[in-house]
Amino acid sequence: MIEMVRVSKAYEDNPNALFDITLRVEKGQFIYLRGSNGAGKTTLFKLLYAEERPTAGEIWVNGFEVARLKPRKIPFLRRTLGLVFQDLKLLPRRTAVENIAFALEVLGTERDEVVKKAAAQALRWVGLERRGNCFPSQLSAGEQQRLAIARAVVNDPVLLLADEPTGNLSITAAGEIIRLFEKINLRGTTVVLATHNEGLVAAWPKEKIVLEQGKLLEASAPPLLSGG
Amino acid sequence: MRGYFFRQAWQNLTQNPWLNAITLGTITLSFLILGVFLILFLNTKGLLEDWGGRIRVTAYLGDSLSQDPLNRLREKILGFEEVQEIKYRSKEEALKLLEEKMPERKELLRGLPRNPLPASLEIRLRGEYQNSEGVRSLVRKMRGISEIEDIQYGSDWLERFSAFMSLLKVLGLGLGGLLLLATIVVISNTIRLSIFARREEIEVMRSVGATGPFIRAPFYIEGLLQGFLGAVLAVAVLFALFQIFLTRVYEPLKDLLGNFPAQFLSLEQMAAVALGGLVLGLFGTQVSVGRFLRL
Repeated sequence: MIEMVRVSKAYEDNPNALFDITLRVEKGQFIYLRGSNGAGKTTLFKLLYAEERPTAGEIWVNGFEVARLKPRKIPFLRRTLGLVFQDLKLLPRRTAVENIAFALEVLGTERDEVVKKAAAQALRWVGLERRGNCFPSQLSAGEQQRLAIARAVVNDPVLLLADEPTGNLSITAAGEIIRLFEKINLRGTTVVLATHNEGLVAAWPKEKIVLEQGKLLEASAPPLLSGG
Repeated sequence: MRGYFFRQAWQNLTQNPWLNAITLGTITLSFLILGVFLILFLNTKGLLEDWGGRIRVTAYLGDSLSQDPLNRLREKILGFEEVQEIKYRSKEEALKLLEEKMPERKELLRGLPRNPLPASLEIRLRGEYQNSEGVRSLVRKMRGISEIEDIQYGSDWLERFSAFMSLLKVLGLGLGGLLLLATIVVISNTIRLSIFARREEIEVMRSVGATGPFIRAPFYIEGLLQGFLGAVLAVAVLFALFQIFLTRVYEPLKDLLGNFPAQFLSLEQMAAVALGGLVLGLFGTQVSVGRFLRL
């Protein structure tokens, strides 16, 4: 599913954004990627979905050798992933249902009725079936988050990467989101959820990877996951 | 899939109607100016060819020339590459022609003690030499022939006209080049703004795994459409202006121009203009997509 071997990432202004990371995540796991702000969580995600290239090391994601992946192959890696961004990246001029439909359309689902049906199903799945015609600005923070999740899972990804999906939410709303991820995980999708929220991790304990200043500090739940 | 591309391209075009109207206007204006030059050039060229077809070089011969040397001279001149046809006019024929042209002086001409008019060779040039260059080249060759006493060719106007044609060509090409460059810049700028307006969608498309060509396609369609529509609109406006020109300017001057028929662009030339619009649209889009849509 995910395998990183001695992976480092250096930027000009941050030479140790990630340093010598070795880890493995198996199919079907639900893992927290923990760490304070600037620990390297977002950088690690960017390496996983090939937005960035590692400075050193090897990365495999869903059978793709990401570090050496040709640019024209990157879209095919991303089709196996569901991405939930910290800033959500919802399209403000499209309604909730259109936001989801857009993700289907750009992957070539042409027929209107198929798109509508799948989008409506995804909305129902995250509990937004009555909010389909609302624009993102008309939704609460929790609803926006759920919409972003619905868009991420509408194409049935095998791996879901969620970057701080509970960042701006109350503990109750955050709990709902975690339950949603659990539901997704039960369908067989591997979930890696980046968070710096200690309370959340304590309330809904899972296996975890802990990063600190770009280094792997802790990796729980052996033997599936091993830190190097 | 194609439906999606065209929908997106249409959305790009309509989400900023003023900007796109200005772009379309600029493309139309550029092609309009180019079209005016093209029509002017084609018609001037046609007129020149028409007039050039009437060019004759006349070689006047000495009185003492007998039949044999005359035949040899004809053969020699016919051997020049510029020459299409030679017509011999004897002294008697020349006088007769003058009498026909000046019937009121007929008696006076008949009263002359001897025929003062020389025999001549009227030389018609081949099509490709019916220009000042061709005339000059032939005259140079004929100057060294002793049997020829004088040569006449009315090529002053031809030279001036050729110079005007060259000026028109240079001006058209120079201005055309600049306008085409400006058109590419304008199209590229519009596409850049379209890319900017859709940057959030592009991010989402990339994140869900849309391929580069899929993301780029609507922008290319937008650029191609703008170029094509601008060129077609320019041809339509040009046609309307041409009709106005025909009734207001050409008709009154028709006789002066020797009834030379003013011509609009042919179907092939109009198609070439439309194709030019597509090519410019493609170039303009490529500039922006290459610079601002790195996927």
